[in-house]
Amino acid sequence: MKVLMPYFKRYHVDVTVAMLSVIVLVFATLWQPRLLQVVMTAIIKNDQQTVFREGLLLLGLAALGIAGGIINTVYSARVALGVATDLRLDLYAKIQSFAYADVEKFSASNLVVRMTNDINQVQQIVMAGFQQITRIPLLFIGAFVLAIVTMPEQWWVIIVMMAIILLATWIAVRHMTTYFAETQQDIENVNTVTRENLMGIRVVKSFVQETNEINKFSAASDQLTTVTAKIGYWFSILMPIFFLTANLAVGVAVYLVGQNITTHPSYLAAITSFISYLMQILYAVINGGFLMTFASRAFISIGRIDEVLATKPSMTYVTSDDDKPLTGDISFEHVSFTYPGDSQPTLKDVSFQIAAGSMLGIVGATGSGKTTLAQLIARLYDPDSGQIKIGGVDVREIPEKALRSTVAYVLQRSTLFSGTISANLKQVRPDAQLNHMQWAANVAQASEFIERLPQTYDAPVEERSQNFSGGQKQRLAITRGVIANPEILILDDATSALDARSEKLVQEAMDRDLTSTTTVVIAEKIASIIRADQILVLDDGRLSGTGTHRELLQTNAIYQAIYQTQKAREEGEND
Amino acid sequence: MTDLRNAGKYYWHYLKKYWRGFILSSLLIAFSTWCIVIAPTYLGRAVEELTTYLGQWTNPATRAQASLGSFNQTLIVYILLYVGDAVTIFGASLILARVTAYSTGTMRVGLFRKMQRMQVKYFDTHSDGDILARFTSDLDNIFNAMNQALLEVLLAVAQFIGLLIVMFNQNATMAWVTMASTPIALIIAALVMRKAGTAVNQQQDDIGQLNGYINEQITGQKVLITNGLQHDSLRGFRNYNNQVRKSALTGQIWSGILNPLMQGMSLLNTAIVIFFGSWLALNGSLSKGAALALVVVFVNYAQQYYQPIMSLTSLYSMIQLAITGARRIDEVRDQPDEINPTEGGQPDGIHHELMIDNVRFSYAPGKEILHGVTIKVQRGEMVALVGPTGSGKTTVMNLLNRFYDVDSGQITFDGTDIRTFDLKALRQNVGIVLQEPQLFTGTIADNIRYGEPTASMARVIDAAKQANIHDFIESLPDQYATRVSDEQSVFSAGQKQLMSIARTILTNPRLLILDEATSNVDTVTEAKIQAAMDNVIQGRTSFVIAHRLKTILNADKIVVLKDGAIIEQGNHEALLAENGFYAELYRNQMVFE
Repeated sequence: MKVLMPYFKRYHVDVTVAMLSVIVLVFATLWQPRLLQVVMTAIIKNDQQTVFREGLLLLGLAALGIAGGIINTVYSARVALGVATDLRLDLYAKIQSFAYADVEKFSASNLVVRMTNDINQVQQIVMAGFQQITRIPLLFIGAFVLAIVTMPEQWWVIIVMMAIILLATWIAVRHMTTYFAETQQDIENVNTVTRENLMGIRVVKSFVQETNEINKFSAASDQLTTVTAKIGYWFSILMPIFFLTANLAVGVAVYLVGQNITTHPSYLAAITSFISYLMQILYAVINGGFLMTFASRAFISIGRIDEVLATKPSMTYVTSDDDKPLTGDISFEHVSFTYPGDSQPTLKDVSFQIAAGSMLGIVGATGSGKTTLAQLIARLYDPDSGQIKIGGVDVREIPEKALRSTVAYVLQRSTLFSGTISANLKQVRPDAQLNHMQWAANVAQASEFIERLPQTYDAPVEERSQNFSGGQKQRLAITRGVIANPEILILDDATSALDARSEKLVQEAMDRDLTSTTTVVIAEKIASIIRADQILVLDDGRLSGTGTHRELLQTNAIYQAIYQTQKAREEGEND
Repeated sequence: MTDLRNAGKYYWHYLKKYWRGFILSSLLIAFSTWCIVIAPTYLGRAVEELTTYLGQWTNPATRAQASLGSFNQTLIVYILLYVGDAVTIFGASLILARVTAYSTGTMRVGLFRKMQRMQVKYFDTHSDGDILARFTSDLDNIFNAMNQALLEVLLAVAQFIGLLIVMFNQNATMAWVTMASTPIALIIAALVMRKAGTAVNQQQDDIGQLNGYINEQITGQKVLITNGLQHDSLRGFRNYNNQVRKSALTGQIWSGILNPLMQGMSLLNTAIVIFFGSWLALNGSLSKGAALALVVVFVNYAQQYYQPIMSLTSLYSMIQLAITGARRIDEVRDQPDEINPTEGGQPDGIHHELMIDNVRFSYAPGKEILHGVTIKVQRGEMVALVGPTGSGKTTVMNLLNRFYDVDSGQITFDGTDIRTFDLKALRQNVGIVLQEPQLFTGTIADNIRYGEPTASMARVIDAAKQANIHDFIESLPDQYATRVSDEQSVFSAGQKQLMSIARTILTNPRLLILDEATSNVDTVTEAKIQAAMDNVIQGRTSFVIAHRLKTILNADKIVVLKDGAIIEQGNHEALLAENGFYAELYRNQMVFE
């Protein structure tokens, strides 16, 4: 809750109006039975003037109630949306300040849930808060006090009523909480079977397992049904008990009024207002209970949001707006790296250097650390030990803007953002003109399909770039990678969906047009890196060998093994 | 309107068997309503009797006759009525809770059963998330509506009718007065709800856009960071965020305003009733006691009068969601089932040859994918399908065990069209190893014996050995009893593929289709998978869909597909000698030195 305080302060006028209108509302609700009582007494006394006057007052009270309600809704909504919008913005800004490791720590999908569902929960509880949460205790206390003022002798009736209601709730809730936990588990089981069957529908059908899957699902579903029914039964008993208790209390109260009517004849006119107050107390308790379960969920959401806001970015940059690129030399000196949460290092004591403008190839089995190594160059992570230098400067000493304008990183699944092609390219190079885009697209062999699109560079990019094929996506990503003519270009398996001819053309174009750029190429295919000036062979995080293709074929067993699996057949060699 | 009709059809289908429960709970609710509306009259009578008593007691002449006896009796009836109300409501809630739980349970299983009968086409054309949402949020909405709205709607309707009857029985004039404000209230409610509807739709659209943006940006956070685009991203976010703030404010206000308005109307109505009632008491022909009693009773009615209307309006959005949910699930129920011939033949493997005979096929009408493909396969042969993405390789697999049916031409086993076979029997003869293997929650052993749940442990181990995965399984602490699921797998991508091969080996299919999944693994792992594949292909008629040529160099026949037609056919040497598309592909993939 403390997290929200500064946001409430920002909207202190709205907060005040909302609170004041709640007080007006409560006043209107509670004063009505009192007025009623006065009217009744007036009727008994045959005092027409009073009846008329108080009747008008009652009408005024109704109007006040409506006005209070509307004002309350409007201002509660203003507070709720103000707080939710600001909180969402701060949360998003926080996430944007994160290092990649922080994003991974939470996982992207988890962060999205916090940005959407959790914020929504907060918005709803704030809205409900200014409409109900302040109102319920006020109503409860007000009704309680007024009921006692109305018939002071009967205070114990109210207490007994509340005691019974609370006891019943406590017993029911105790039973239901275990069932609720069970429901969660059952829902998960049902969803797991469904998801697996959706994803594996071909497996199910080709192994003719429909009947078994139905049985599996029915078993999970029946469990859920049984528990749901049990919760339903408990709920069924709660409401009747609440109302029966309240009505019994009314009965007892009226009976007592009757027995003592000769001592307190004025109580005759007070019966209806006393009943009204009893019912107000009951509704306050019931609504309070519902709000409590609602609030407890919102508190969990607030906690989850707070967790993100309280996270300090695990990586900081030297403060400087300097965006002058460095030269493209890269050196690793005894670099080791362990992913947060892992026990084994992913990179172990890796050292190498590469001069600006040359090409570095990285090969190795899946999980050998190729991508990790590339990510360290782009400073997505910092090494545990050792030093990485770009242009002779430790990456930790390079201002963020300078680093980003030096290094371009093209990922294997590097989709573009929805918008247009040119908007994506201009994100990386704001001053990009058509000729720049054409040049970059030419290098990436993307111009042939972009220029066939009706809107060419202004062609729309859909979500997840799904209006482009895998090969087109990769070529667009490479276009984006080269448009700013970076000093260092990392291609992380970024040509895997390209056929060998296009890939070769991309490489030739890069050799021609990006002469001063250092290219780092991670590849499964030896053919992709065969021309590299230097090739690193990674094996389980260690640098097993380094050299050119020819050298490695002579000296490195792992490289030879990889080569064997890709080598043309003997008779093909003479082809 | 069609929504409503479809929803009606849907609920009728699932709820009709609970008609007894509905009738019984309706009777119980009717009785409880009777109790609730009749009770205030007893309270009124008690007050009246008390007034009389007080009058008699105050007057010394009649004090001796004054008695509380009839007051006490009236009060007992009053209390008994509420006991009756509580008991019957409890009974009705129990019945409805049971109906809700069990009918939604039946809906869930019904949807799943339908899913198992539907054509693969449905799954290929709808996202998993969309189908899953029907199991989760749509069924949830239906459950919530039934759980919360069913009883309340029945109660509201019954109470409203009961209240009208009792009010008119008591005093027609006062009844009309109580009802006087209804048209205004209904008009206000209709107007506000319409406004709220449009505003909330706009709000949902904007929230959808915002969430889409958030999802896209945060999922692509790596791209944002490596390009230094965080500030741009934040700028874009602000626009969406402010848009949501604007439209959500309107939406929240319009939908939040209805309740206070109705509550105010109810208060206003009470005031009118008091006002008019007391005027009637002072100027009417009734005795003061009777008039006072009438006011007490009608104040009570006036306060109850708006409750049914209020609860119906507050349930409106929930009911709306349940109608949409029913419509969405009904859409699935209307999907065509797989076509299975009645008394279809039982295939017994392939004795001589499998023939794909001039097959044409399209996923969507007018967009033909295969243009007359003919492939002849002798028993025991291995055929490789090669070609660029989109050439139709995977489509051939989809046709072989009838995930889809051909548009024209036919596929035959020893001359018999596969569409005349019993569908399940056909699939038992065809084994498939898919490109993206799927594991099911359970133990490793369960997953290997997936196609034959009764298979012995010895056969499971044998299959694992042939698939080169036995040693790895043995190295796990729980070995074959290790629990796996598709999400949290102990297996790497390559090992998952080996599991899928083991699963296929165990069922010993006559015809084998391997959609070779080597795009996600490195070439060394690929070699291991290939060894396992060689084991399973041994002695079987098989189709291999090849992504990397290295794995199919030994095929008896290589079929090169391009744009849905066969452009080359022959063995590796012959195709190389042809020096065409295949030869080019081969040179591109391999390293020559």
